[in-house]
Amino acid sequence: MKVLAVDTSSVVATCAVVDEEKVLGEFTLNQDMTHSEKLIPMIKVVMDSLGLRPEDIDLFAAAVGPGSFTGLRIGLATIKGLAHVVDKPVLGISTLEALAFNISWGETVIPIMDARRDRVFTGIYSCENGILLNRLEPTIFEVDKLLDFVDDNYERVMFNGDGTNVFKERIIDRLKDKALFAPVSLNMARASSVGELALNKWNAGERESYFQLVPDYLRESQAQRELKKR
Amino acid sequence: MLKITLDGLKETQDFGLKLGSILRGGEVICFIGDLGAGKTILTKSIAKGLGVKDYVTSPTFTLINEYKGRVPLYHFDVYRLEGVEDILDLGFEEYFYSKGVTIIEWGNKIERALPEDVLTIEMKMGSHIDERILYIHSSGEKSNRIIEELRDK
Repeated sequence: MKVLAVDTSSVVATCAVVDEEKVLGEFTLNQDMTHSEKLIPMIKVVMDSLGLRPEDIDLFAAAVGPGSFTGLRIGLATIKGLAHVVDKPVLGISTLEALAFNISWGETVIPIMDARRDRVFTGIYSCENGILLNRLEPTIFEVDKLLDFVDDNYERVMFNGDGTNVFKERIIDRLKDKALFAPVSLNMARASSVGELALNKWNAGERESYFQLVPDYLRESQAQRELKKR
Repeated sequence: MLKITLDGLKETQDFGLKLGSILRGGEVICFIGDLGAGKTILTKSIAKGLGVKDYVTSPTFTLINEYKGRVPLYHFDVYRLEGVEDILDLGFEEYFYSKGVTIIEWGNKIERALPEDVLTIEMKMGSHIDERILYIHSSGEKSNRIIEELRDK
């Protein structure tokens, strides 16, 4: 079963084709927010290089958020469009779960994505018996609040995601040697992780149609914002 | 507050060029003014001052247009939005708190979503058909600097 997966939730644009055994191909750029120009040509390079046509893909997968609203819309529109053309199923994967899945080996992993204004999109994950577990639901947090929470509850954690580039010094100041940082190759979104998670979901019986797939912006609710103003 | 009187198209364009050339990125500029006040003309010349080569068109339909210049330029027109809820769904924070310059036409419609530090340019018709009077307000460090540099030049 072949999965075409994309993640355009941050400055990273990434696409990959995976099956049950391996990553057949992956193309990742991490420079400019130019996904609307780059993503489709990237997919074409990967597919052409593998000698694949859209109808050869059995499942289409996209990271659905949280992340850049514009970025998510580009990735989802692309995946939904491709799936629609060949009438194949789709699955949406949490951006944060995919980041954590880059480093699913036991220690606590905390993906952080810059949400501007000193806030991060984050969740807390750990691995038990090879299965990635979600300890804190994806949420939007002020970075200092997250660091307080981690300091109070954890002995050692690993951070990844683009938030580490923005907040690294602050994390080290607050958490000292409690904080580990992912190697750069595992620090960013990887479509291969999105693809593998989609396969796992598929095998667990989850199904979605290209008509239903929507972004998960995870923006603060009206109530949260009103509360802050007081 | 800075009050500037512009006599005709050429002076409006020169002012826009000057403003564009002193922007560093990260600034948010709000335009308030009636239809025909010259918001689009002014945006085009600010874009030129920022080194944008693309043809700048109105974002009334698209809501946001993006341009590559010395720093990115994000041009919003929020006239069609119903209120602040709509801009939240647009993902405005990616733009307002970025390294690019954001220009918002009809910015007063989304006042509650705006950052604290905004340069507000109010455009009014002058005493004759080609005259425009700009009232420029600042509300923070970045916008204060713009007004100071506009005064100096």
